Amino acid sequence: MTTRHDYREIPVEEYVVDKEPFYISSSDEIEVFEAAYRQRVPVLLKGPTGTGKTRFVEYMAWRLGQSLKVQADGSSSDEGENRRSAGHLPLVTVACHEDLTASDLVGRYLLDSNGTRWIDGPLTRAVKAGGICYLDEVVEARKDTTVIIHPLTDHRRTLTIDKLGEVIEAADGFLLVVSYNPGYQNAMKDLKHSTRQRFVALEFDFPDEEREARIIAHESGVDEKNAELLARLGSKIRNLREHGLEEGASTRVLIYAGRLIKEGISPRRACQVGVTWGITDDSQIQRSIDEVVSSIFP
Amino acid sequence: MSDNEQSGPEPSVRSQKLTVAQIEVELEQYPAPVAERFRMASGTLSGRLAEETLQEWAATGLEIARKTVRSWEAASEFFDASPGVQRQLPSGQFLRWGRTGASLCSESPSLAVAFFKASPAAMLRLRPRYIDDWATVTRSLYRGTWKSSALAARLFESTPQLLETLSFDEFCSFGGFLEVLSRRSYDSAADSLTQGVALFPRLGSDSDHFIALARAVSESSWREIKDLFDSGSDSLVNLPSPQRVALLSLARRLNAMGASDPGALIRAGSKAVSGVPSESRERLLELTDRLASVHAAAAPEFLKSAPGVLERVTFAQLTEWHARGAQISQDNPEAAVAYFKLESASASETLDALSSSIELSRVRDILRMYCQALTGRPIEVSAAQQLADKNIGWFQGELPTTEGTTVYLPSVINRYLTKDENFFFYKVVSTHQVGHIEFGSFEFTFARPSGLFDDLRPDLPGAKKLAAAIESDAQLQQQMELGQSREAREALKHLKDAGAAEAASPEVPAEREFLTDMSRFFSLFPDNKLALDVFTVVESTRVDSLVMQSYRGIVEMYRRVQSTALENRPELDELPARESLVEFLIRWSLGQREGLVAPKEHVETARKVRRLLDRMTSPEATVEDAAEATVRIYSILANVRNEDVDEDEFESVDPDEPSEEGEDQSGGNEEVNRDDVIQQFLEGAQAQSGDEEQSDEGPDSEDGEDSAPAEENYSSPQDIDYRGEFKPELSQLLSQLQLGQGGEMGDEIEGMEPISQEQLEELMKNAPEMDQQEGEDGKEAPNTDELIENLMKELQKRDPQNQQFQQGPMQHVDEDGGPLEASEPNTYVYDEWDFRAGEYKPRWCLVHEKEMADGEPNFFRDTLADNSSLLARIRKQFELVVPEMYRKQKRLEDGEEQDLDAVLEAVIDMKIGITPDEKVYWRRNKTERSVSVAFLLDMSASTAEAIDEAKKPSDDWGAPDDPVEYMVWLRSRRAEGLRRSYKRIIDVEKEGIVLLVNALETLGDSYGIYGFSGYGRENVEYYVIKDLEEKFSDKVPRRIDRIAPLHATRMGPAIRHTTHKLSEVDAKSRFLFLISDGRPQDRGYSREGVEKEYAVHDTRQALIEARNAGITPFCLTVDKSGHDYLKTMMEDFSYEVLPDISQLPMRLPQLYRALTM
Ligand SMILES: Nc1ncnc2c1ncn2[C@@H]1O[C@H](COP(=O)(O)OP(=O)(O)O)[C@@H](O)[C@H]1O
Ligand SMILES: [Mg+2]
Repeated sequence: MTTRHDYREIPVEEYVVDKEPFYISSSDEIEVFEAAYRQRVPVLLKGPTGTGKTRFVEYMAWRLGQSLKVQADGSSSDEGENRRSAGHLPLVTVACHEDLTASDLVGRYLLDSNGTRWIDGPLTRAVKAGGICYLDEVVEARKDTTVIIHPLTDHRRTLTIDKLGEVIEAADGFLLVVSYNPGYQNAMKDLKHSTRQRFVALEFDFPDEEREARIIAHESGVDEKNAELLARLGSKIRNLREHGLEEGASTRVLIYAGRLIKEGISPRRACQVGVTWGITDDSQIQRSIDEVVSSIFP
Repeated sequence: MSDNEQSGPEPSVRSQKLTVAQIEVELEQYPAPVAERFRMASGTLSGRLAEETLQEWAATGLEIARKTVRSWEAASEFFDASPGVQRQLPSGQFLRWGRTGASLCSESPSLAVAFFKASPAAMLRLRPRYIDDWATVTRSLYRGTWKSSALAARLFESTPQLLETLSFDEFCSFGGFLEVLSRRSYDSAADSLTQGVALFPRLGSDSDHFIALARAVSESSWREIKDLFDSGSDSLVNLPSPQRVALLSLARRLNAMGASDPGALIRAGSKAVSGVPSESRERLLELTDRLASVHAAAAPEFLKSAPGVLERVTFAQLTEWHARGAQISQDNPEAAVAYFKLESASASETLDALSSSIELSRVRDILRMYCQALTGRPIEVSAAQQLADKNIGWFQGELPTTEGTTVYLPSVINRYLTKDENFFFYKVVSTHQVGHIEFGSFEFTFARPSGLFDDLRPDLPGAKKLAAAIESDAQLQQQMELGQSREAREALKHLKDAGAAEAASPEVPAEREFLTDMSRFFSLFPDNKLALDVFTVVESTRVDSLVMQSYRGIVEMYRRVQSTALENRPELDELPARESLVEFLIRWSLGQREGLVAPKEHVETARKVRRLLDRMTSPEATVEDAAEATVRIYSILANVRNEDVDEDEFESVDPDEPSEEGEDQSGGNEEVNRDDVIQQFLEGAQAQSGDEEQSDEGPDSEDGEDSAPAEENYSSPQDIDYRGEFKPELSQLLSQLQLGQGGEMGDEIEGMEPISQEQLEELMKNAPEMDQQEGEDGKEAPNTDELIENLMKELQKRDPQNQQFQQGPMQHVDEDGGPLEASEPNTYVYDEWDFRAGEYKPRWCLVHEKEMADGEPNFFRDTLADNSSLLARIRKQFELVVPEMYRKQKRLEDGEEQDLDAVLEAVIDMKIGITPDEKVYWRRNKTERSVSVAFLLDMSASTAEAIDEAKKPSDDWGAPDDPVEYMVWLRSRRAEGLRRSYKRIIDVEKEGIVLLVNALETLGDSYGIYGFSGYGRENVEYYVIKDLEEKFSDKVPRRIDRIAPLHATRMGPAIRHTTHKLSEVDAKSRFLFLISDGRPQDRGYSREGVEKEYAVHDTRQALIEARNAGITPFCLTVDKSGHDYLKTMMEDFSYEVLPDISQLPMRLPQLYRALTM
């Protein structure tokens, strides 16, 4: 029996997107992001879950990496040793949650056989490696994280590590990108104005039916016709957002339904388990959505 | 009576006049207890009675003892009872009591024993004057036999117990009942007595009804008495009192009519009644009662079957099932019994149909959300009758329709045998109706070009005339507008109808006189009734086709509904030519392909119009395309004489004949020549006008050349059930107001001049959809004045700012005057923000703070009671928060345990020589929830509006006939607020507050409730319903009751004052929750009296001030048209617009939770 790894182990800061992610743009967000990156202006992505924010960052990391590669190829030719210098842009993603503290981002000492050892946190690594650090759902993180973020977002571009008594200047390629979902309408967890004004904001919303159908078809592999119908269902359900439903159906759940359909589950059933039951527990609304499903799907 | 009997022995005793001592000696000769008890009693009584009375008492005792061999026992009981009885009675009565006993003793010593024994206890409840009657009634049971004396003795014994529940009268009738029964059977009477003693306390004041029934039964069928008593204690007692009485009197009536087995009836009735919700109980018994009067034997069967039937159908349906059976019982009583026993076929058929029927009220919410999902608009769903009741132009309460914002549906569907199918019918109808909204039927724009056809609209004679008219002499126009004289309008109409080509005529209505683009379109047609009929088919075809293309899943059912509709259509070959062609199109649109016929002469015509109709199945077809198709089809049909055609003059129209041609040339190359159409249009117009003259003024010589057979008057086709009443003009008028705001029509409307009465009259008079009704059988033409008035009201309600309809003088401009002073107590002045000037007007508004007066606590209580399930849900949600608040608190100096991470860090710090953090403990701690929230309620006059206008029931609906019940009903209505039984916006706001208050008390947040209104800047009224620091008390519910619509809405100062209040409390987080029904407005709350933005900006400024004070504002509004100004007012703030007002009570707590947790 041979031990074969089905997985890759990569240090966070060396994670790069090397295959082109599938991304369909909805307006000029690619251009704006590129401009922002050139100027190293931090970017805030605003929008409900499942509107492609994460995918967009991945795509941009890849895309910007490609252009770096072109530059890099011009000067040096040995690729592979150092991925960054070889023209890739590292992408460090941190999903924020309510227990996430500053040291989870910056780093901490750990005990080991020799006494103690300092370990860099993901943010520090991104700062050093000169990649994109994407903090998903920043508002969820603890308030003390903002103190760390602020100096990284203005002209200083520095990260202070109290424990080490160090200040790190960010490597040239570093950029902070954060995302935030204003839909949660939680006043206690709103983004502070002082923080918000340090970013350029790109607004994300659900794609139109035609684009969404393409996304669904691509991501789930379901046939075009069903992808179209799923996209229609998505937009119909989103119509209910202001009439009783707190969040509409995200592209993600539509993709899941698409995958089930591809596996041979009947469309109506796939939508029921993949969409209806996922978005609400209210049986009345479920029934209404089921009726929409059964009108759309034969 | 008793006096007579006593008169015998008495004189002899008295003549001897023994002294008390002598009597004592006499008594010694009887068994020992007699004298013993005498001594004890006389010992007690001697102090209480006069000597003479005492002597007489003792003599009575002796007399009793002497009566018979066994009467000494009675004497002994007499003495024993005396002290107790004497305490209750004056001396005269007391002696009389003794004599009553003595006379009983002469009949039966054991009776006397029982009488005396029961007396002390009985006297507690018996009036002295009833003593004799008591004895008489009881003695009447005694008929000399042992059994009878035992029975009577038992009644004496039981008297004290019985009198605990029964009045003396009731006791007597119970005695009477026992007497009757005892003639049949002493055993039975004895049993009844025992059962009665146990039962009456449980029946309480309803016992008399029971006794009355028992008595009746004892006379008719005494063997059933025992079962009756059993049913009383096992069933009847479980019913609430009013229904017990009703059931008992029902049983009595039935008994009188010869029905047997009252016990079974009581049981069935109790079971049935307790099985239905309390509000229907009375009704159930009423139904039974009504049935009883028709056929007595059927009534108990109905009661017996009711619970089972109610498992399958609703109460309302039970009523229908009952009505059907009642009808049967009139003709055939025997069949009725079988029916109500559920043994007849018709009973189960009726029931099946009912149980599969669906009531709109049950599926309304589902359909509403469904429609909202399809359109993305806040569509409402209502019963069609409600629209008909408004009397604004829709007349058929059973037919579905929409006016652009609400989908109106029949209130019940029972076309199919299963619930699913019936629901599907609702769904098909809703999808079609809402399809008119989704696919833009009412967004018709005259000037928007058609995509499928070359535009003919601008070239039609009418349109040309119009264009010319608009350009023509403005003065004349003005004159006409001002004049508006009848003749002028008459003349205009004539001109238009005549279709004379005097294009230059200046007196033709100007463009702006049309309220809607639809009206303008229909005005082009000389025969606009035909135009409407054609447009209806064409547009419905387009919508049907789009629905079936977009919603593939519904196609099957949709087709089924269409084919059912086809079954009810009139035969083509029985209609006159033009009508048959219209009908032909309808059938085609409903999917019929085989067996279509047309008059021989017009087969080509039929093909032509059908090809045109088919163009509507293109996925790109728009309402403007439908209009163009209408023009073409109209021009063809208007030239078809509507003459009778013989059946065999009809020829079949091949279904798949050259339709390819049409498909191939769907582009610009039309099969109908443009000039032809216009030419035909004119000809048709002339033919039409000729026709009119003919019918109006009889045959005319001018028309003589056309000597073809007489034309039939054209009548519109019969309605199609799922398409219903289609009124494009009215719908466009109504929906453009409601939806126009902010949309592309928004600006147009803002700039539009007020709609005048005259314009509405014009619309009513000319709109083809308005005179549709007139021709119809029997129904009188609707009263136009009333209609216009109603429509005007409806329009005012829909106009978001009530701007176009402002009646009365313009708002007074309040810019003069300077700063105000808060000189009186509880008044406060605030600045107001002038956004144009970019500065505050200092000390501009005066807020008067008042404590809300106390009202009744009912509203609060009833709201809680009516919403118990919602309440439970809210509570549960809120309670979930509490455990959430118990979080692990880390980094404490002391706590339950060390936190491993923190300890590690500390150790590491020590290793590397840094002073470690000492805070290494954690504790599960109640994280201090420190929230303070102020609710600010809009009490402006607009909140008096009914949330659903149509729900206002007519005033005296449901008033009970019975005078007592009527009083109760009346009182409850009074409490509700005189003459109002519909819900207003403010009521819903209040309900929301009530539910929230209840939940907030679980949470322990500090909260205040305030209401505001006012009139002018110097009169901002600010009502305290509950202050922030105030504890909840029963005053709060009372004050909530008094929240009522008042005057205007000056939000800014109210918000500022609330900010001021919130700033004074100590809380970590503070919230201001504004609940309103529309935009801020007030006298002078504008710039130069016109600029509404002023109020919006001041309110915004007040919110910003609140935020700067560390308060989080949130605005919840029920204003459907609120989106536009809210965007400005609330930019950067959180807010929500509730599309459905009735959701407020449910939504408010949800929002509160989301916001503060
Ligand atoms: N514009 C888009 N292009 C391609 N895929 C998309 C797009 N938007 C959404 N998706 C799909 O939806 C899924 C969820 O998007 P994601 O980026 O995770 O959303 P978010 O980060 O906003 O919550 C992705 O995995 C992707 O499959
Ligand atoms: Mg108002």
